[in-house]
Amino acid sequence: MLEISDLSKRYGPVVALDGATLAVRPGRLVGFLGPNGAGKTTTMRCIFGLARPDRGSITWQGAPIDRAHRLRFGYMPEQRGLYPRMKVADQLSYFAQQHGMPSGAAKAATSRWLDALGLADRSGARLEALSHGNQQRVQLGAALVHDPELLVLDEPFSGLDPLGIATMTAILRERAGAGVGVVFSSHQLDLVEDVCEDVVIINRGRIVAAGGIDELRSASDRRHLEVEVTGNGNAWLAGRTDLTVMERAGDFARLLVPADLDLGAVLAAASAAGPVARFSFQPPTLSELFMEVVQS
Amino acid sequence: MSRRRAIWLVARRELLERGRSRAFALSLVVSVGLIVAGIIVPSLISSGPGTERLGIVGPAPVGLVDGIEATARQAGLTIVAEPVPDLPAAETRLTDGTLDAALAFPPDGSIPTYVVKTRGNALLQQVVVASFSPAPQIGFRELQPSDPNRDTSFLFANVGVILLFISIFTFGTWVLTGVVEEKQSRVVEVVLSTVEARDLLIGKVLGIGILGLVQLVVMITAGLVAGTTTGRFSLPPTTGASVTMLLLWFILGYVFYSTALGVLGALASRMEEASNASSPVSFIAMAGYFFSLLVALNDPAGTAARIATFVPPVAPMVVPLRAALGAIEPWEVVGSAILMCAAIWVLFVVGGRIYTGAVLQTGARMRLRDAWRTSGRAG
Repeated sequence: MLEISDLSKRYGPVVALDGATLAVRPGRLVGFLGPNGAGKTTTMRCIFGLARPDRGSITWQGAPIDRAHRLRFGYMPEQRGLYPRMKVADQLSYFAQQHGMPSGAAKAATSRWLDALGLADRSGARLEALSHGNQQRVQLGAALVHDPELLVLDEPFSGLDPLGIATMTAILRERAGAGVGVVFSSHQLDLVEDVCEDVVIINRGRIVAAGGIDELRSASDRRHLEVEVTGNGNAWLAGRTDLTVMERAGDFARLLVPADLDLGAVLAAASAAGPVARFSFQPPTLSELFMEVVQS
Repeated sequence: MSRRRAIWLVARRELLERGRSRAFALSLVVSVGLIVAGIIVPSLISSGPGTERLGIVGPAPVGLVDGIEATARQAGLTIVAEPVPDLPAAETRLTDGTLDAALAFPPDGSIPTYVVKTRGNALLQQVVVASFSPAPQIGFRELQPSDPNRDTSFLFANVGVILLFISIFTFGTWVLTGVVEEKQSRVVEVVLSTVEARDLLIGKVLGIGILGLVQLVVMITAGLVAGTTTGRFSLPPTTGASVTMLLLWFILGYVFYSTALGVLGALASRMEEASNASSPVSFIAMAGYFFSLLVALNDPAGTAARIATFVPPVAPMVVPLRAALGAIEPWEVVGSAILMCAAIWVLFVVGGRIYTGAVLQTGARMRLRDAWRTSGRAG
C-alpha cells in the first residue's frame, strides 16, 4: 500500500501541496481528481522523487519510499515523452531493464506488452514514425512493461479516442484485478465514475474528499430530486423555500434538496397538485460532488 | 538494482543508439579522411616534380653534369646545375635556400662530397648518385644534421592537438545535445523516475566517451598507418608514449568538457538555446586550442606553456603537445593530471547539483543560481 501523509510543497510563493494525505491500496483503482493547479501532478512527482516535498512522508508497505521501491512502480507523466528516434521495442526493453529486469526477461516482457497494446507489428519502428495515439500506447507500455506493483498515471485518458479509452480502461481494470494499486488523474469525471471504485479529490493542495465513490455520494448532505407532475407546469413548487430549483422544463423540475428531506411530505404535496409521472431521489453524481467540494 | 547497472544501461543505450547512427559513421569517415589526406597530401607535394638547383664546386668530371640532367629527365625531375666558386659559397647558398644540394669535387681528385642543408630531396640524391659510373664513391654531409624523430615529434604534437580538440569538442557537443534532447522530448521525466539525475549524466558521458575513444583510436591508427606507408615518417621510439598521452588526455579533457557542456545543456529547454548556454565553455576550449597551437607549440618549455600545464581547461591540449615534443618533466605530467582529476571532481559535485536542479525544469532557460537553489538538499 502507498501512503502519503501531510505532504507539503511550495514553489516560491505558490503553495502546490498543503498537507495532502491519501492512500492507494493494492487492487484498487483510484481516481485522483482536482481542478488545474490543485497539486495532482506535484503529488505524483513527489512519489517518484522528481519533486522534493518540503514536509510530509510517502511510504510503501510502511517503509519510507526509496529508489528500490520506485523500481517496482510504473509512471506515466503528464508531459509525455520517450526517445523519438529509438525503436519501439528497444525503448520498452530499455525501460524494463532500468526497472531492474534482466535483458532476456525485458525482451520477453516487451513483446508481450507490444502484443497486448496492439503494437506488435510496429516493434521495429522508430517512435517518431508512430501516430500520436500509438505513441501514447507505447508510453503506457513504458509504465507497464516491468510489471509494476503500483501504477501512477497522470491524465492517461487525455488525447485518446473512444477506442483508446476503451483499451486503456480494460488494461487498468485488468491490472487492478491482478492486485496492482492504480492511481490516475483525470478531468473526465464521468469516465472516472465508470472506471474507479475510489476517488481522491484535491483542491488547493489539500485533500477535500476521499473514499469509495458510492460512499462519498451517499455521505453528501444533499440529494437530487426529480419530479414531474402532469399538467401542473411546476405550479406546486411556488412558495417552497426548502427546495432549490436547478432546472425546470414544462412539468419537469430538478431540485437540490437536503438529504434529510421529508420525502413523504414532498410526494404528498406533488400528488395533491396532480398525477405524479416521475419522482426520483438520487445522491449527487461524481461531477456534482466534485463541484460541491471544490467550490465550497 | 545497483546504481552501477543503471549507469551502465544509460551508457550502453548511448553507445548502441549513437554508435549505429549515421552521425557517428559520418564523423568517423570524415575524420579518418581528413587525417589521411593531411598526411598524404603534403608528402605528395614535397616529392612531386619540381626544379632542383644543384651547385657544382670544383672540377667535375667531363660529361657528369649532362649525365645528371639526363638521368633527372628520365626520373621526371628538372635539375639545374650551376658552378659555384668554392665550398663556403655553396654552404651559404644551401643555408639561405637558393641551392637544394651541392656536389663538391676536391682539387686533389679524391672522392666528391654531396652536401645538403638538412634531409634533402631523396630523389635528387638518387639521381646524382646514379649519374656516376663506375660505382659511386661519394661522401655525404648535412650542414644541419637532421633528426627524423624531432620532425616526427613536431608533426605528432601538431596533429595530436588538433585531434584532441576535434574529439573532445565533437563528443562533448553530443553530450550537450543529448541532454537537451532528453529535456525537450520530456523523456527525462520517465528516465529520472528510476535513474538518479547524476547517474544519467555519468552514463551519458561514459557511453558517448567510449564512442569518442573509438573514433580517436581509429584516427590515430589511420594516421600512423598512412604516415608510415607513404614514408612521411618512421615511428620514433616515443610513439607508444605519445599515443598513450593522447588517449589519457582525451579522457581527462573529454570528461571535463562534456560534463560542463552537459550541465549547461540542462539549463536550456530547447536546442536553439543550447549553443547559447554552452558558449562560455566553447570559448574557453577555443582559447586553449589556439594557445596550444600558437604559443605552446613554438615554445613548449616556456613559462606560458608551463603555467598552462596547470590550468585544467587548457591542460588537456598543452600537456600532450609538450610531451610529444619532449619538453615536459614527468612531475609536471603527474601534477597536471592530478589537478585535472580534482577539477573534474569539483565540476561534478557543483555541476551535478546544477544538472539535478535544472534538468526537470521546463519553460524558460534557467539561470545557474536558480538551478543550484532548486536542487537544494539534493546537493
